[in-house]
Amino acid sequence: MQWPRPRAVPIAAAVLAIAVLVGAGRILRDSTVEAQAPPPPQLSVYSPQTFYTVPLLTINGQPYVGLVELLEPLGTLDAKPDGKKYKLKFAPPGAREMELQFQDGKDNGKVQGDKLKLSSNFAVQNGRGFIPLSSVSELLSRSLATQIRLSPAARRLFVGNVGEKLTLDLRKGTPSKLFVSFDSPVNPTIATEPGHIRFTFRREPVIATSEHENYTDPLITGASLSEHDGIAELDVTGTSPLMANFADGGKTIVVTGAPPPPPQTVVMQTPLPQPNVPQQTALPPKAPAGPRFLVLIDPAHGGTEIGSAISPTLPEKDVVLTLARKLQHELQARGVAAGLLRNSDITITLDQRAISANAARPAIYVALHAANSGRGVHVFTPLVDPANLSSRDFLPWETAQAAYLDLSTAVAGSVAAEMESRKLPNTALAAPLRPMNNIAAPAIAVEIASPSETVEDIGSTAYLDQVAQAIAAGIAAMRGKVPEVRP
Amino acid sequence: MTRPIVLMFVVLLLAAAGLGFYAYHLKAKVAAEEQRLAQQSQVVVPPASGPTTLVTLYVASDQEGGLRRSSVNVALPQERSERARAILRALLGAYLQADSQHPIGAGSDVRDIFLMGSDTAVVDTNAAFADAHPSGVLAEELTIASMVTTLNANDPQITQVKILVDGKERDTLAGHADLRRFYKSTGIGQILKDTP
Repeated sequence: MQWPRPRAVPIAAAVLAIAVLVGAGRILRDSTVEAQAPPPPQLSVYSPQTFYTVPLLTINGQPYVGLVELLEPLGTLDAKPDGKKYKLKFAPPGAREMELQFQDGKDNGKVQGDKLKLSSNFAVQNGRGFIPLSSVSELLSRSLATQIRLSPAARRLFVGNVGEKLTLDLRKGTPSKLFVSFDSPVNPTIATEPGHIRFTFRREPVIATSEHENYTDPLITGASLSEHDGIAELDVTGTSPLMANFADGGKTIVVTGAPPPPPQTVVMQTPLPQPNVPQQTALPPKAPAGPRFLVLIDPAHGGTEIGSAISPTLPEKDVVLTLARKLQHELQARGVAAGLLRNSDITITLDQRAISANAARPAIYVALHAANSGRGVHVFTPLVDPANLSSRDFLPWETAQAAYLDLSTAVAGSVAAEMESRKLPNTALAAPLRPMNNIAAPAIAVEIASPSETVEDIGSTAYLDQVAQAIAAGIAAMRGKVPEVRP
Repeated sequence: MTRPIVLMFVVLLLAAAGLGFYAYHLKAKVAAEEQRLAQQSQVVVPPASGPTTLVTLYVASDQEGGLRRSSVNVALPQERSERARAILRALLGAYLQADSQHPIGAGSDVRDIFLMGSDTAVVDTNAAFADAHPSGVLAEELTIASMVTTLNANDPQITQVKILVDGKERDTLAGHADLRRFYKSTGIGQILKDTP
């Protein structure tokens, strides 16, 4: 046996020490909670019916999109993962049902029997099918038979004949004014700082061409429109602080100089997730809008909070988001304005939900839940101590609902009656369910359970359609009985 | 290679080995604790010794969406809070049975009950009660309603109940039912109807 040379001993010791340290680090890392990853990027989808976002997943270094998340808001969908095979039945509104078929690890699929070549392999993860983002345009144009415009770099997708083009018109004077005009009302988020005013269009399908205007004006020096990260952004530059006003019912934004004295640097940003409803603008329109009947739908949970595990591959957060989108469609079909508090897989705290809901000033708030036990539909009204009834001018946070309890009960009764008339097993109860007690509007919660012994049936298209129609009919029947609210 | 350098490497090696051993020990300890908690699946039952008393339990049923009244014999201690704890443990024991109509997480237990004044009970449950509780609005409300109603039925002076988890306040039981509030027995009537 030969002993190692003397110089080799410390080197071996050092290597061993490093290996032990690395191993200890791994053990400790495994024993601790993993650091939360930053939120995944999202694809903004604009269609004539709706706007929604779809999370993007990076697979083999490429962005992928979940098929169900992408197609569900665009029609009725029934996905059937079968091992490596992934089949979907998809029916756009007013069109015949078609079959889509893909296979994990294969770069070709079929749309109604016709071959579809993907830019890279289809992927199935946790029972969900994902296609490469760059193939989304081809898939949708085949499935929907309509014009599709995809901007992969900006992560924006336009389905059909949507798209809002703007025109810029600088009118020189004292002070000069830049008129930014749109075909329909817009409601961007506005951020200002000295020399800049930025308009962020997240929900509006504003199409950003390579527009960049330079002006020879003592106040407004330029305007550029760009798109990135799922948004379009208009940046107007000036030699002094700028401000904006809305005109023509929100179709025109007028940018001009801010009155003296020059304000401090102010960035108006909303820290909380905004509901998918007309936003509060940073600078309100001159003419106050009239009262409206807006229903705010709150699909519970989302993001890291999955809610109940209906099945190993079907979390509550997905079921309620599907139901929420169907409910929104059903309400809109009945002429009722409806917005979603969450339209993608994001985490929102209970307090954030209440804050966003109260800021949206809905006529009715509907929270949606799903359970993996019990049967049928449960309609809940808030459980608030009547002794806490207080003025509507200033409401305590914990009992803000108290002043609206009678209306909430009436809405729940109307929804339960619709369930009954459609032979849907239902129970009407009161429950201290957060954040209902913090909502300053008539509020109900609807929890669905499976209609049969098979718990997965809770996600069946027919069942969700039936529930959504019943809720929508119950709410629509309350129009005229529940006061409209001024935004 | 000088002697100090060799010594430094030896010390470093020993320190690294010690750290590695400590980390391994920590991991093994955590794993053992988790395994012990997971194995706490035995049905919680009140003490079997001593004279028994007929107590009323309001037992939840997921299928019916309500509470069903039943009576069982339970050996009850003399002290009031201990009696309340024994009654609630009997209730949780019913939920932990294999044929329960309202199953809850294995190992669920009531650690303690504190009586504040004559009308308020603060029920301190263990972590398994909340962590392993089925998630759902109705399922969670039924559990809470059955606990409050059962306490009130056997000790009518107890009219409001607060539920803690491992000695601490928690936002919700399993994502839905509000645990920050006091539950009044009179309010429970609004939540559920007795289905005897």
